Amino acid sequence: MELFNNLVLGFTTAGAPWNLFFCLVGVILGTLIGVLPGIGATATIAMLLPITFQLEPVSSLIMLAGIYYGAQYGGSTTAILINMPGESSSAVTAIDGYQMARKGRAGAALAIAAIGSFFAGTVSTVLVAVFAPPLTAIALKFGSAEYFSLMIVGLVSSIALAHGSVVKALGMVVLGLLLGLVGTDIYTGTPRFNLGILELSDGLNFVALAVGVFGIAEILRNLENEHDRDVMIKKVTNLWPTKQDWKEMTAPILRGTAIGSALGILPGGGAILASFASYTVEKRMSKTPEEFGKGAVAGVAGPESANNAGAQTSFIPMLTLGIPANPVMALMIGAMIIQGIVPGPNVATEQPALFWGIIASMWIGNLMLILLNLPLIGLWVKLLTIPYYMLFPAIIAFCSIGVYSVNSNVFDLYAVAFFGLIGYVLAKLRCEPAPLLLGFVLGPLLEEHLRRAMIMSRGDATTFVTRPISLTLLLLAAAVLVVVLLPSIRKKRDEVFVED
Amino acid sequence: MKSLNFSSRDIVCGALFILVGLFFAVQAYGLELGTAVRMGPGYFPFVLAGILVILGIIVIIQGTQIEHEPMGPIAWRGMLFILPAPVFFGLTVRGLGFVPSLFLTALIAAFASTKMRPGMALLLVGGLTIFSVVVFSYALGLPFRRFGPWLGQ
Amino acid sequence: MRKILISLAATATFALASSTAFSQGYPERNITMVVPFAAGGPTDTVTRLVAETMSKDLGQQILVENVGGAGGTLGASQVAKAEADGYTLLLHHIGMATSATLYRKLPYDTLNAFEYVGLVTDVPMTIVSKKDFEAKDLKGLVEYVKANADKISLANAGIGAASHLCGMLFMNEIKVPLVTVPYKGTGPAMTDLLGGQVDLMCDQTTNTTKQIKGGTIKAYAVTSAKRLDALPDVPTVEEAGLPGMQVGIWHGIYAPKGTPTEVTEKLSASLQKALKDPNIIARFAELGTVPVTDAEATPAGLKSKLESEVARWKPIIEAAGQYAD
Repeated sequence: MELFNNLVLGFTTAGAPWNLFFCLVGVILGTLIGVLPGIGATATIAMLLPITFQLEPVSSLIMLAGIYYGAQYGGSTTAILINMPGESSSAVTAIDGYQMARKGRAGAALAIAAIGSFFAGTVSTVLVAVFAPPLTAIALKFGSAEYFSLMIVGLVSSIALAHGSVVKALGMVVLGLLLGLVGTDIYTGTPRFNLGILELSDGLNFVALAVGVFGIAEILRNLENEHDRDVMIKKVTNLWPTKQDWKEMTAPILRGTAIGSALGILPGGGAILASFASYTVEKRMSKTPEEFGKGAVAGVAGPESANNAGAQTSFIPMLTLGIPANPVMALMIGAMIIQGIVPGPNVATEQPALFWGIIASMWIGNLMLILLNLPLIGLWVKLLTIPYYMLFPAIIAFCSIGVYSVNSNVFDLYAVAFFGLIGYVLAKLRCEPAPLLLGFVLGPLLEEHLRRAMIMSRGDATTFVTRPISLTLLLLAAAVLVVVLLPSIRKKRDEVFVED
Repeated sequence: MKSLNFSSRDIVCGALFILVGLFFAVQAYGLELGTAVRMGPGYFPFVLAGILVILGIIVIIQGTQIEHEPMGPIAWRGMLFILPAPVFFGLTVRGLGFVPSLFLTALIAAFASTKMRPGMALLLVGGLTIFSVVVFSYALGLPFRRFGPWLGQ
Repeated sequence: MRKILISLAATATFALASSTAFSQGYPERNITMVVPFAAGGPTDTVTRLVAETMSKDLGQQILVENVGGAGGTLGASQVAKAEADGYTLLLHHIGMATSATLYRKLPYDTLNAFEYVGLVTDVPMTIVSKKDFEAKDLKGLVEYVKANADKISLANAGIGAASHLCGMLFMNEIKVPLVTVPYKGTGPAMTDLLGGQVDLMCDQTTNTTKQIKGGTIKAYAVTSAKRLDALPDVPTVEEAGLPGMQVGIWHGIYAPKGTPTEVTEKLSASLQKALKDPNIIARFAELGTVPVTDAEATPAGLKSKLESEVARWKPIIEAAGQYAD
């Protein structure tokens, strides 16, 4: 009953015409800026943040939530259309989404992403509303040992990202892990692998790396043979998912929502694993795993749902603890503080209208997003009919602006060019960039939690198996490893027999 | 002699892994390694670098078993114009200012395609610059100087 | 080369031009205020509040530019190299003083690369522990820590962070080395303190006030000279018996060396006005801090603060033997 009253309060607050208007403006602006290539959710929100300062606190945060959803969906759009993810989560969407676009099914891919996101958003909003406090209590049980074991699960799952050679994919993960360690060792302050460059002391910029190895490398590949692309555009068929698509996407959306919701609650960086984990699960569950990497519907539907669910539930630690789970949440907290609201354990009781207003606006934001974007799909797909030689100078320009705007650091632009070259070389060598990015985001976390767990246990390595949650996760990792490796071992044996 | 039909792609890839692994290993060895119990800044990267070298070797060995596949054309022209574009933006955005720097950056990138004609390029890049200035500088108020000190402003 | 020639020419022009004529016109266009940290953090918040209020007074927009990285030294070195025309300013916190020792290869000379506008605020710190920690007050805490030094973990948000500085000071005061657990930023450190994974931390009120009020962590003392309105029940370090722990995360506004005095004076006057703005006072109060006095919001006030703080932290950091480069 109390929940019902709270939701009524929330919807009255967020449903006020003025607030609805700001939510809509936020979604539109977020989508429009986020859809510019190379400008991901973090950059979009950082750019649009100052606009919200002039508003009332509630309106401001509702608009910001709208910007957030819009920016995220905008980021997925560029990942699907031009293979340019601006965030680690949309790197997974790019794998099969872009392949669908290449097959002329960009419209269907965008619709699947939107529908999956909406469903996931709806479910996880309910989760936030009903279970925020108890879920927070569970999340706080996660110490460094648990996070380390969780990252191991993520690492093991990454093998599924490969659709070529597994060894090469592993190599790319390890390469990513190493690149993620560039910068400064947080435990001793020792600079590492930075070649004496001061700009590298906080590590490589993720956006520069992602834009380089995905976006720039893709442009170079398209320039190899300029006739290929024209052929692809003519094949654009129906804009909507077919009956078959609906059948294929339902289960992945449900599973993705569950995975994303669970991982998003963990403030120590669970959400970044959401889309990767979902991709692994879908590839395992699929009857046609060979379709993955070639435009599988489940490879878009699952990760996109997981991503949005994770994004949503990562509001839980922010709202109940005042702790940012990711850079976007840090920006949201900054915005709240500027509005005179310091997020913390008491926000829900001290400012119920604001707290429940934000929760209600999450769902309204998701609803507006789908209402706005389904009709826009036709327009986005039309963008693909612009001749490529006119499109890519714009891509380069927006990438440069986007990368530069985050930290005003020109070094990041040099990094874009450098990783563009590396990405192109790797593409030529048939090494895939998605495992590299997963490694890059996991590397620092893996080391950080490993070493911290060892410090906390005063050097007792059994800490990983004596803590029950950690042990469970490690067993899960072992199980995943067996399940992932078994078929390929069996396949190898089969091949051996055939040759015999 | 089929077993000696090395895939050049896999050899380059494996060599790349080995080289990068060695680079990180040497760098990490110069740092304090510590022990498994009290890890120093070099421990974790040193272990990873070792794994990368091993993976590189496996890639090369496996490469001997896979059929040779052509590398395909290489986008030399693309690399020549695309890669310097963001670097140029970085070098000039403070000095020249946002407007001229962005214009020239996009112009450089435009010539990566053989299909681009000069008139078309100017038109496209001009429109792009106006759009970006209106959106980012005026509407969003990003702290870019539109014209920089090198132009005497 | 061209850049150097032009900047030489520009310097000459400034030297020739009558300085009063220059300041009458100032500011004629937007001013950029660099924050050497990412958007959304406490320093960014302080900067945006101050910039917005000063903009109204100066009649020109002050744009906030986040140049994060390397503990604030990247942003500071960018401003140190900027044109000294009053259109590029820096808002930095105590890190300006500590990085002079923490970084052995700084690209600028901390005490000689800047002109001063004034101090902005001095955010106090709080000594806090996980909720179910045994000690009842600061005296009890010190005794317990001394008796169980090998079991206690002290969290901080990374080398050079406020919590790192305060933690070093704490160990320096009680003369007991503890196991320190660094985190990447305040958020994760606070999460582990809330979850009871670590025992102790010393951090800015900006981060701790809400948690203390919510009863999710325990506070032993504030490091300010007087008790805080936001936390009236928490004693000061002096009352609690560790007077040497008085420390604050002070913020100041700087301009590149050679910025005309008229400009820094004008900015300082505008800063003093801004610090009396009721909105700023209210927002600062929510963050657990108050604006500084008029006497401190001056070039001289900031200069003496910076000089004394560089001298204060040098031996403490050297004793800890941890550097950031």
